Amino acid sequence: MMLWRQFLMEWRLYSRDRAAMFWTLAFPVVLLLGFGVMFRDSGGPKLSVVRVQSATATPRDAALDQALADVQLKVQVLTKTEAETRWSQGETAAQIEPDGEGYRLRLNSYLMAQAGATAGLVNQAWLVAQARLNGSPEPRRIPTQVESPGHKRATNYASFLLPGLLGLNLVSMGLFSVGMVNVSYREKGKFRRLAVTPLPKWIFLLGQVTHRLTLTVLQAGILLLVGRLVFGIQNQGSFLDLFLVMTLGTGCFMAFGFALSSFADTSEGYAAISNLVFLPLMLVSGVYFTLDSAPGWFQHAVAILPLAPFIRALRAVFNDGAGLVGHGMGLVIVAAWGLAAFILAVRRFRWA
Amino acid sequence: MSGPALRIRGLRKAFPKVLAVDGVDLEVARGEVFGLLGPNGAGKTTTLEIIEGLTTADMGDIELLGLTWKDHGQEIRSRIGVQLQSTSLFNKITPREALDLYGSYYPKRRSTAELLALVQLEEKADAYHITLSGGQQQRLALALALVNDPELVFLDEPTTGLDPQARRSLWDVVQQIKAEGRTVMLTTHYMDEAEALCDRLAIMDHGKVIATGTPASLIADLAIPSVVELTFGGPAPDPAAFAARLGQSVERRADLWEIPTPDPKALLPRLLESAEVEVVPFQQVHIRRATLEDVFLHRTGRSLRE
Repeated sequence: MMLWRQFLMEWRLYSRDRAAMFWTLAFPVVLLLGFGVMFRDSGGPKLSVVRVQSATATPRDAALDQALADVQLKVQVLTKTEAETRWSQGETAAQIEPDGEGYRLRLNSYLMAQAGATAGLVNQAWLVAQARLNGSPEPRRIPTQVESPGHKRATNYASFLLPGLLGLNLVSMGLFSVGMVNVSYREKGKFRRLAVTPLPKWIFLLGQVTHRLTLTVLQAGILLLVGRLVFGIQNQGSFLDLFLVMTLGTGCFMAFGFALSSFADTSEGYAAISNLVFLPLMLVSGVYFTLDSAPGWFQHAVAILPLAPFIRALRAVFNDGAGLVGHGMGLVIVAAWGLAAFILAVRRFRWA
Repeated sequence: MSGPALRIRGLRKAFPKVLAVDGVDLEVARGEVFGLLGPNGAGKTTTLEIIEGLTTADMGDIELLGLTWKDHGQEIRSRIGVQLQSTSLFNKITPREALDLYGSYYPKRRSTAELLALVQLEEKADAYHITLSGGQQQRLALALALVNDPELVFLDEPTTGLDPQARRSLWDVVQQIKAEGRTVMLTTHYMDEAEALCDRLAIMDHGKVIATGTPASLIADLAIPSVVELTFGGPAPDPAAFAARLGQSVERRADLWEIPTPDPKALLPRLLESAEVEVVPFQQVHIRRATLEDVFLHRTGRSLRE
């Protein structure tokens, strides 16, 4: 009864803060719509290559362009000066330049992931083009297909993006919103006013937690609905599994927020602390780059952080329709972090 | 319902850099308004927060309504009312909602309508907290402290930062609370507030209680019922020569001299004569009775406002 009242009040006060409400609920939708529409037709950003014009156009150039198009590479033909400008601005990943009887390929060291994939395709295209020019039989390419770990063909980019957004939202909700709110309540003395009443601590905290949980559910619901209506994205797995993974993640990262908030006395201090945790977590969790070249011990250490297993499980359920069985270990890691953070939070919690 | 509302023995609290409370003993009777008077940093708020259960003391015993924090924390919380030095609420909560919400935390509660009437916030009952004036916010904080029909009410500097009119209206509410038979303990650094509201006072300085008693008895104990003031247009000059001629101690303040005396009638002719001989360029003479300010000055050698 007390908890219900507290929960309702949290919602009522939250709903009056229109700006916070808008950004929490609408921003992920805006992101999904924006990126989803931009990359609507492809399975992600398409690879492209720049070809520098020869002094005079040759049949060899024409054959190469044709072969490049056949291997699904987007070709941009530029003059030497144009190409040089573009290259120095860092926008070109790979550039084909005429070199005597053949070509030379320049790869951008800052964009190796794209450049590497492009180089492979360019080489294939060159072999095909040569065969066509000589009238010899065309080399056969090994057929390639893009597929997710759960054996689903990539449909569109938005369906890949959506679970990532769901996950990221809830991480930032826990780490930034919950923690920040707690620090500012403590800083401004809202907690002290509560501490002199007989209201049990756990009711207040649980009221906050349930409010945030329902907010996450609402947020996820809106994202799923928009994804479905606009992009026709379906949840491939069971909604129960999705709900379980999301709840586990929300709990884990909310506990993180609570625990971290006990280490900061001011909002400014908390902003620094939460970024200190969030940024490395993002960077090393394989969201932005793979860690194949990192030392072994580092990869092992990273493997027990909660973000990567959480996002993996979420994608597996949502995009691949996998059950949770294969992700037991990952979910145990997430749960263990959540539990540890929760214990730390309760131990360190103080009203003032 | 017998025994004092509050009894404190040997209270001590040290913070890393300062000994905030240094051996405080107090006893507050039921139904009285008791004041802790002292300058900023005297340890009033820390003392109050220890009593309210917000801070733990290093040493000492506290009994509220015959109960101790160790054994009866929840019962104490439900029987006391607390107004903190600054009460921070959600920006967009209304007084009506805040009173309903905080009331819901207690087993026993007063009606929201009654409380709104008591602090004269009926017209603002549905306005967001952030839109209330300082005085209105302070009155709401006071109403929140009364939401559980408490026997013992703590008010920490209830009128600091308010304009004179808002202070007056808050004083009225405090007197009303006393009239309802509640015990009130308040801190203040305004001596006029202490004189107007408190039945008894403890004067605090550097974490110690330096005097306890009714405002009248504290002043009477000074044995200098009156103070003659000579005011100057600008900064007051050095009174040494004048004091020597008068044969009486003279305190120099910013723009006036103060001469404490048990008998102003006898002093005045001598004073005017000395002033004429020494060519003292004073503008006006005031005779006033001694106040708590003089008590503090006398006990500590410092002014309350310093």
